[in-house]
Formats: sequence, structure tokens, C-alpha cells
Amino acid sequence: VRCQHYPPLRALQASAVLRRVSDEHKKEPFTSSSQQQFDPHPAAHQPEQEPQGPHPSYTGQGGQESEDYESEEQLQRRILTAALEFVPEHGWTAEAIAEGAKTLGLSVAAAGMFHSDGSELILHFVSECNAKLSELLEKEQKLVQLGEAEKKPTDEFLRDAVEARLRMLIPYIEKWPQALSILLLPRNIPSSLSLLTSMIDDIWHYAGDQSTDFNWYTRRAVLTGIYNTTELVMLQDSTPDFEDTWRFLENRVADAMNMSHTASQVQSTGEAVVQGLMGAAVTVSN
Amino acid sequence: GRALLSPLRGAPRALRGLAAGPEMHFGFQRVTEEERREKIYQVFESVAKRYDVMNDSMTLGIHRVWKDILVHKMNPSPGTLLLDVAGGTGDIAFRFINYVRSVRERQLQRKLKQHQNLSWQEIFENYQEDKFNSLGDSQVVVCDINREMLKVGKQKAQHLGYSEGLSWVLGNAEELPFDDDKFDVYTIAFGIRNVTRIDLALQEAYRVLKPGGRFLCLEFSHVSNPLLSRLYDLYSFQVIPVLGEVIAGDWKSYQYLVESIRQFPPQEELKAMIEDAGFFKVDYENLNFGIVAIHSGFKL
Repeated sequence: VRCQHYPPLRALQASAVLRRVSDEHKKEPFTSSSQQQFDPHPAAHQPEQEPQGPHPSYTGQGGQESEDYESEEQLQRRILTAALEFVPEHGWTAEAIAEGAKTLGLSVAAAGMFHSDGSELILHFVSECNAKLSELLEKEQKLVQLGEAEKKPTDEFLRDAVEARLRMLIPYIEKWPQALSILLLPRNIPSSLSLLTSMIDDIWHYAGDQSTDFNWYTRRAVLTGIYNTTELVMLQDSTPDFEDTWRFLENRVADAMNMSHTASQVQSTGEAVVQGLMGAAVTVSN
Repeated sequence: GRALLSPLRGAPRALRGLAAGPEMHFGFQRVTEEERREKIYQVFESVAKRYDVMNDSMTLGIHRVWKDILVHKMNPSPGTLLLDVAGGTGDIAFRFINYVRSVRERQLQRKLKQHQNLSWQEIFENYQEDKFNSLGDSQVVVCDINREMLKVGKQKAQHLGYSEGLSWVLGNAEELPFDDDKFDVYTIAFGIRNVTRIDLALQEAYRVLKPGGRFLCLEFSHVSNPLLSRLYDLYSFQVIPVLGEVIAGDWKSYQYLVESIRQFPPQEELKAMIEDAGFFKVDYENLNFGIVAIHSGFKL
């Protein structure tokens, strides 16, 4: 006999930290359409794990079981959100996460749940920004549907959407280059790429544009190129309120609109990011 | 021998068994709980002075790397309060202090870099106030049940120049002399194998950790690779006790050591026990193909 088996005490012990979900629901900000999840620990970790008898901690979106405790993932998200406040000072690091954990009343050791290079913090931030953008676009669309606002022409729509999304970077702009380099690590590329493409797809979805000659791949590639190049310009822009950046954006969008009239094609998907980084290479075919 | 010293031990075994509790393992022997605790205490009492030397010879110095990896995994930030249980001769505690000190130094450097135009006076003052805070308020409490091991640890600390942020407490992992919700990190390196009631030790670990706190356990574990397993067994049973006799004059203690490793639960089983104590996000990392494993869990 290796060791005596003692009955599991877990069912009797309430979690020390995981809150009841009924507290959570008041705070959940994002809409179901924009749950862009990435899984930082694929496979190795079974989702079993919440064995408290009377308190299973999975909660569905609709919060069917109001007696539930939040899951570990929800707690982790709370910590990461709290950590964002400390990014301007500490960068996208485990230190920022530790400070975030502290504000939630947790030990600094909780930062050990995440990678020490801050990957999850950055991916969480990107995911949150994308969610905010979707919410914004959804609201605008509603206004148009209700007839309270004019439907914007495509170029203006794209410009405004990209600007709104990029403005979310402003509080963190100094440490953003560091974040970009981490997003490009091989380990993070699947997640960061997927977040990028779903954001781009989202924008096109709300643009509701049927008139251009672009096919789906081309749209994606073009807008990705515009977004990425504008982002890079923004990092080096020192003009007041980033005027240069928005002017650059305007020009790129205008170029894209002109492209459609000359029926050009840009082959892509997987190359969309690389395209963007090199500037959209335009081939005029006839 | 022993039978003469205590009347209780002369009693028929069955009766003794009923009186003193369930049977447990001590290496490959069968003993009662109480006997086991006593025997283990004696083992460490006798090896204490040669503990570090034996660790080096048995593991060919690799135990140092394992302990380094443990502290790196912990990645403690300044201000962390660490409880190192069964910490005996202080290996983990000293590494923790070194780590936190260097993190703190980097922090200070970064802070100073941001202030580009300091006067000499200001620079001087900056160094002054932080001179007394080179650990950033980090602290480690070394807790061990064995007086001899603590003694050796304190001597080592003095010899190596560790004084700040370090304290030594005599205590039992199954019943820690600390309040609830006190520590940021709890470590137990090559100690949990010697605890008689592991479940109690895990519960105590849970109790004394702050919410969000981390449990880390470094321990010998099970090698699944069959070839490696054979070589490992060979080395363990043929070489180590001999080394024990030659270097420390104590074959039996090292025989116990090797046997206790075989008796210890494998990775998945220990993981389940840690989860049973209430920890979340429990995971383990094998080092050297499972000769050693680091288990980690959080009090959430």
C-alpha cells in the first residue's frame, strides 16, 4: 500500500477565492457574439476539474445554474483585467500581473498561473479590445437600423472602425512594441493570428458592403494590410492626437477603394499578416 | 536492543497494532504511524551533518540544478513571503533570497534609469533608502521538524552570510505553528516523502497559504521509461547505500532513502491528493524523465 486513501474533502470545502457566479453576472460586459477564446493550454489540461459536489463551477453563458462558482478561467480573466492598469508602469510582464492580483486581494504568487513573458496578458487585452470594438459596431448598426443614423459609406466606415480600434492602444502605446514582439513568438502566433483575423472579419461583417468587387479573401487581406501598417505608423507617430496616423489611414483606405475599381486581386489568407507587414503589394491585372 | 527500552514494544504485535494505529511503510518495512515518525526523525538526526555532502554525491550534484529550477519556476517577486517546509539545511531558502535580491536590484536599476537628470545628492539618497531594503521586504521562514537539521541550516546561513529576511522555526508539517492565510508560497523540497500523513500536510499547506497563494513540491517521483527505470533502480539499490556507508557511515539511512522513494505515490496520484486538499490548477513537471517532479497548485 502506497498511501492511505482519505475521502476527498473538496466537496466540503468552499473555494477560498472563486466567487459565486451571481456576483459575476452583474459585471459581464461582453456580448456572446464576440467571445473570441483562445486556449493557452491546449490538451494537457482536462476540463474535468471542478469536483466540488454541490458546487460545479462550469457556468453557461445564460447562467443557468446561479449557484455556481466562477471557473478558474474567469478568475484568471479577472486578474488579467486588473493587471492592465499596471502595464504602463511595469510593461507586459509577470510583475504587472502580480500587481493586478494584489488589487483583487490575492497573493502575488497568483501570477505564477501565467507565463512569465506576459503572453496571456497581451492576448487577453487584444481579445478585450476586439470585444469592445464589436460592441461598438453593434450599437452603431442598431442605430442605423432604427433609422436614427445614416449608413456610412464603406470607406468612412472602415476608417472609423480601424481608428476606434487603434485608439484603444493609446494608454499602452509606449509598451506596445514589446507586446507586438511577444505576439509574434511562434508559440503565440496561432492565437494572435486568429484574434486578428476575427477582428478584421468582424469589421467587414458590420460594414455590410456588397458593392465592391472584392472577394472574401481579398477583403480580409486588404483590411489586414491597412490595419497592420497603420498600427506600425501609430507606434512612431509623435504628432498631437496621432493626426498623422489617421491621415495615413485615410490614404490607405482610399487606395483600397481605388483598387476595387481596377479589379485587382491579392492572394492571401495565410499571407495576410506578412502582406500587411510589408505594405500591401498591389498587382494591377486587366 | 530496542525491545528492552520500552515495555510497550514488548507487547504482542497485534495488540500493539491496535493501540498505536494503522500500519504504514517505512521504506520496505511495515510499521505503525508512531514508529514511522520516530524512525524518520532518527534517520535525519543521524544524517544531518552529512546531508549536503550526501546529496551531492548521490545525485552527482544534480540536486542543485533541481532546486534552481524550483526557484525559477516560483519566480518570486520582491515582497513575497515564503514558507519552506522540511527546509532543513536551507537550500531553497538561500536560493530564494538570492533570486529576490537580484530581481530587486534590476528593479532599482530600472527605476534609476527613468530618472535621467538626478543630482548626485538624489542618487545618493536613492541608494541609501534602498540599502536597507535589498530584499524588498521578502521573507522566508524555514520550518523543519528536526532540530539537528535546523542547527545545520543555521550554521550554514551564518557561514554563507545570510541573515536578513530569514527565520528558522521548529515545526511539524502535519500541524504547522502558523496562522491561516499567511504565506504567498509554500515549498517542500524532498521533504513530503518523509511526512507520515501526507494528506494532513497538504491540508496544512492549504490553510497557511493566502488566497491566490502557491504550493510547490519538489520530490522524487516515478520513471516510466523502462530502460531508464532499470538503470535508475540499479543505481539506487546498489550504489547509494554503499555511498551512504562509505561517506556517512550509515548504510541503513540511505537504504531507507531509496526505499522511501519507491513507496512514494507517482505523479498523477500525488496530483490527485493535492487537488483533494483544495488546490486548483494543479500540475506537475517532470525533471530528468521523472526521477524528480515538481508539483504546483494554487489556493483559489
